Formats: sequence, structure tokens, C-alpha cells
Amino acid sequence: MKKTIIIKYGELSTKKDNINYFLKILKENIDSLLIWKHFINYDRGRMFVDVDDEYIDKTISVLKKTFGIHEIIVGFIDNEMDFDKICDNVLELIKEENFNTFKVICKRGNKKYPLNSMEISAKVGGYILKNRENIKVDVNNPEEKIYIEIRNDAVLYYLNGILGLGGYPVGTLGKGLLMLSGGIDSPVAGYLAIKRGVKISAIYFESPPHTSDFAKEKVKKLANVLASYSPNMNLYVINFTKIQEAILKNIPYEYLITIMRRMMYRISLKIANKGNFKILINGESIGQVASQTLTSMSVINKVVDIPVIRPVACFDKLEIIDIAKKIGTFDISTLPYEDCCTVFVPEHPVINPELEKCVLYEKLIPYEDLINEAIKNVNIIKIGKEEKYQDIL
Amino acid sequence: MIYLDYSATTPVSYEVFDTISKVTKEFVGNANSLHALGLKSNNLLESATKQIADIFNINTNEIVYTSGATEANNMALIGVAMAHHKKGKHIIVSKLEHPSIYAICDYLKGIGFEISYVNNDAEGLIDFDDLKKKIREDTILVSICAVNSEMGLRQPLKIIRQIIKKENVATIFHSDITQAVGKVPVNLHDVDLASMSAHKIFGPKGIGFLYKSSMVRITPIKYGSGKSNSLNPGTPPLPLIAALSKAIRISQTDLEKRERFVNLLNEKIVSALEKYPNIVINKTKYSIPQILNISIMDVMPEVMLHALDKYEVYLSTNTACASGEVSHSVMAIYNDLKRAKHTLRISLSYVTTTEEVNKFIKIFAEVYDSLKSKKEGI
Repeated sequence: MKKTIIIKYGELSTKKDNINYFLKILKENIDSLLIWKHFINYDRGRMFVDVDDEYIDKTISVLKKTFGIHEIIVGFIDNEMDFDKICDNVLELIKEENFNTFKVICKRGNKKYPLNSMEISAKVGGYILKNRENIKVDVNNPEEKIYIEIRNDAVLYYLNGILGLGGYPVGTLGKGLLMLSGGIDSPVAGYLAIKRGVKISAIYFESPPHTSDFAKEKVKKLANVLASYSPNMNLYVINFTKIQEAILKNIPYEYLITIMRRMMYRISLKIANKGNFKILINGESIGQVASQTLTSMSVINKVVDIPVIRPVACFDKLEIIDIAKKIGTFDISTLPYEDCCTVFVPEHPVINPELEKCVLYEKLIPYEDLINEAIKNVNIIKIGKEEKYQDIL
Repeated sequence: MIYLDYSATTPVSYEVFDTISKVTKEFVGNANSLHALGLKSNNLLESATKQIADIFNINTNEIVYTSGATEANNMALIGVAMAHHKKGKHIIVSKLEHPSIYAICDYLKGIGFEISYVNNDAEGLIDFDDLKKKIREDTILVSICAVNSEMGLRQPLKIIRQIIKKENVATIFHSDITQAVGKVPVNLHDVDLASMSAHKIFGPKGIGFLYKSSMVRITPIKYGSGKSNSLNPGTPPLPLIAALSKAIRISQTDLEKRERFVNLLNEKIVSALEKYPNIVINKTKYSIPQILNISIMDVMPEVMLHALDKYEVYLSTNTACASGEVSHSVMAIYNDLKRAKHTLRISLSYVTTTEEVNKFIKIFAEVYDSLKSKKEGI
């Protein structure tokens, strides 16, 4: 009997023809996240991850952050399928478990096995009762569920597992570009998109010297958290200073935010097209600020022709904060550094901007040139690959 | 030179020294400054902290850098006392603690706290029933070291925690883990607060940290400015912190293999010294192999120490921090004053060689024989 980590797929099992594609990506994702020695084996029903015993805990904490997994179980696998051996193995499995009531649940994938699943459950249950004192069977509400799976070439044994994140394996649905600020909402939006299988990279607008390097570090940290769910992430850092100053100088104050957002959307679109990102993702939430009224959203959205997904559009702030806390971005987001959107905020931004006015005002600045220059100077940071001070630490 | 006093302090390893010099030269900014140099330093500070947090499986905000274990012990004990005195003024410590714990307890006693001392059994294990009995409604803190510095007695922190929390869930559990880190595995989730020091694991003197679980509240005993952490304000000593982080990382590799090797050395010394009728080995099944305590009943330990000095053999009487006193631990285990007054501590490390041990045994025999014969001559 050998220890192994068993992965149950959740929603994936509803995919019929292309499940192999989903599983292949899931395996690749796990492969790239486990930086220690490991071996992954899978079929349509289960995935098995074998690592050295001292890495089991670490592996589980990685798998807990991997999308596409319904349940993670540390169990045992044995190639010997003899019924007496099964009974012995079950006793071994529950050796250190304390419970008063139990139930044996058997699944028999191997239909050639001489006993059916009901018979196995009953007989193993009887064997346990004979060998352990003071315990009872309770089929309705047992304290311990003991699982046995009869596969074609092996038997699996396990107790309850740990719930995974669910969702789809990252990358199975293509790539998206997240507009990441230092705030609370956009990292959550990124996380939710990742959950549906979108592999993300992020774009961040900085405005030095109005915004500091600490603000950029903060965004890098947020990106780092997201990268633990969506590996190999890039952060596109756009220097927005010239555009922002041009807007400040030439555009009426009440339209400042609207025009600024339109410029950000235009730049994001260009980066997305270049990098083959199918969608833009951002943390806009309906009604939260002036640029997030329905009219504002519609006027701003006019400059792009790819879908803009707003995963938190209909969430309350508190719901967003809950997720931010759960995924570990909240404490970073609340660090006190200014970002581009908060540096110059007019006192009374327009709530219902008019598209015609936007177009007219934008003629006052040579934005095409400024945008091209900003894109030419983009700084691409490979998240997770920065200096780790290996020589020092 | 034969250095057998690794539990008093260790030399700084080459790798760690390299870090100190590099960081001192290349990271000149104050990690609290807002400019690029400050950011560079801050980034290193965060990476160093993250490395420690990952090793111990804790959060970065649960690490408070201190000048060493003594300062961490002060922050922990006084910090808990100040934060929770309204709930109670009762504190429990073991009889096997480092002298700094007793000194802090004396201070707390002076300002109105009540200190109880939990018993241990003949093998040095904390007496669980006694602990259970002593925990009261107003017990705010229990402090028990993970490994005792004089005899190397190791305590099962997990079981102790379970007992404490079962009796009074609000009682905070602190452990001085200085002698445990780098010698035996330590799980910080077994405690609420823990103190350690870099200079016992081939790191520099002057740095250590306090682990403070985010679930626990303590009152700061130092005040100042700086964002790095509120319990120990001021400019973080980056070269020392990076060195601490590196020393901890190196200390955790091959922990078990190293322990097994040191155990062989320990057994070798024990079997050589056991032959002398007037030498007793102060060792129980809970002693870790890195610390070997003996009592030489017919020679004063200081005399032995100074005589060995001439041969460049270095060890201590009980601990460097309690030199010249009676060994608390030997007293607590054997209740024999003479035995407690005559202790020598030989402390080993994985860098100790078999050759050094052989030489030591030879020199020890020579010195001991000559001291004995002088005594007999009188």
C-alpha cells in the first residue's frame, strides 16, 4: 500500500469530448506549480500526484490553490486486489482514526471484480466491526466515511478529503488582460476570471512622479498573489504620466476621469491585441464611483471592440472584500499608496458623460501619438521571476 | 582548538558572513525610506522575512525582529502581562528555563504578578498533571522552553499546548525555542509566542526574532517610529536580518541526518566518561544529543574549565548566561545540590568532527587525572 494524493475533478466531469484537453492542461498547471520532485498520473476519473512524504503538505497547499480540482485526498493505492488484502489495508487506513460510527462506501469501476460494491462494503464493514471495539455502523450519518475504489489494476483507499477550489483549469478558456490597480476590486476580478479557466496577465498604469515605486511594488505583490493561481503571469507597466498631464492641462475637470479611463481602455486594447488576449477584465462595480455608472461604463466602453468582463460588477463592496480577504489580496490592497486613478480626482466628476463631448474634448490632445509612445515604452515584468536574492538569502 | 560550547554561541558561517558583508555594502538605504534605495532595502527585508515565514509555515506579519532571544522573551512575557493583566495576574513557567525567563519573572513579581513553577518528572518531562492543576482562570501565560539549555531536555510542545488550552483556552503559551532551532524540528503552530536567536545557528550575535501568532495580542514594550513593525520600531538592521534568514535556512537542511551524526559523537563521549567513578552523566531519554551535561563530583567545574582552557578546549560550566551558579536544571531533575554545583556542559554541533571528539576525550583524561592527583596529594 503506497501513499498517494488523489484528485477528484469537479465540474470538469461534465465535459464529454474535450475532457482530455482540460485534464492535460490541469496536469501541466500542477506540473509547473510543483517545483519539487513529483509524478503525475491521470485518467478520466482521477488524477494521482506522487511526491516524497515530506512534500505532501506543501503539495496539498499548492493543490488547494489550483483551479479545476473538486477534492484533494491523501489516500493509499495498492496493486494487490485480493479481498483479504483489501480488508487488511482498510484496517491499516483507519489505524489512527478515532470514531464511534462509520460507513464503508465502495465504488467498483472494475466490473469484472468477483464481488459487487454492496457486497464489498458489507463484508469490509463486518471485518472492521470484528477487529475494532466500541464502534458501530451508521449508514445515514456516520462520523467516518471509509472509501474503497476498485479500479482495473489497483484499489484505492481513503477517508474524507479537502475541498478544492473547483472551477476550470487555468488556461483552458484562453487568455485575458486584467486592468490591475492597487485597489481591492481589480485583484478579486482577476481571481474570479481565473476561476473560470481564463489565464491572465495584468496591465498597470503608473504616473511617476505622481505615483511612487512603492505603489508599483504593491501592484507587483497583488500580481504575485494572483500568479499563485494563474502561473506565468506578465505585468505590463504603462507609463501614463504624459497622457495624464495632457488630460489635466486640456480637458475640463468634470470629464477628467472619463477621458482618462477611455485612454486606459485604448491602451489595454492595443496590448491585448498584441498579446493575443481575447478579453479585458477589470474591477468595475456598478455605481461604485462616478466612472462606474451605467452611462459612464457605456461611454468608456465605446473605445474597445473586444468583450470587457467585469466579474465584480454586481457585487457589493463587502462581498468583494470577503473574497479579497479569502485570497490574501486585501491586506496588500489596503496599503496606503496612491495610484493613477486616485492622484487627480476632480471634486465633481460627471456622472452621465456624453459621448459627443468626449470625442470633442479628446481632439484637444494628440492622444494617438501619446498612446503609441506609452506602448512603445511598456515595461514587461515577469511575475514570480523577479530577483529572489538567492545569493544573499 | 576544540570548541565544544556550541550551545553558548556558534561562530558565524562563511555563507552568513558573506551575506552580512554584501548587504552592508550594497543595501545602504533605510528600509523605511520612500526613495529607490529605501525600496531596494525594503524588498530584501520582505524577501528575508518571507523566507523565514515559509520555513516555519507562518505569516510574515507574525515575525518581530529582536536583538536576540532575551529581548524576545522580554517582549513576550512583559507584553502579555501588560496586555492581559485585567484578565489575571498568574503566570506559569517551568523549572528548566533559561535564566532570562526567571529574571523577567522576578521583575513581574515585583509589580504584582504571581509566578508558579510547574514540576517535571525524573526524566525532565513537564509533569502534565501538575500543569493541569496549576492552570487557573486567571492564568494568562505559560512559558516552557522547547529545549532546555543546560541538559538539552526537550519538551513535547504540542501536548503541552493541548493541556493548556483544554484547561483555559485564553491562556497564552510561550516557548523559548532558541536551543531547539537547527537541532530538532520545531512546529510554531504548537505555540502562541516563541523566541529565538541567530547566534546559536551560525548566525551573527545581535539578532533574533519573536514569533507572535496573529491570534495573540501583546502590548509593545518599546515605542518609536518606522513602518516595519510596531512591536520593535526603528530602522531594521538589514544585514543582520538577512543573515538571520540565511542562517535559519541553512540550519534546516538535513536536520535529521545531522542529529543522528551528533548522537554518535555524544555516545562516544558518554562511553568514555562513564568509566570514571566520580563522573555522572546528567542525561535522560529527553536530552537532545547536541547538549551533554556531566557532573564531575571530585573536581570543581571552574577549575576543570580553566585547566582545559590551556589546551584550547572550550566548554561551559552550566550555561554561559548562568555561569558560576548552581545548575537549575540538574537540581530540578536530580535534587542533588553537589551534583548541581559540579556540572560541565559539552555542547556539540554537526560541524564537530570525530577527530575533535577523540582528541577531547584524550585531553579530558589527562587534565582530569592531573587535577585528581593534585587533590589527592593535598
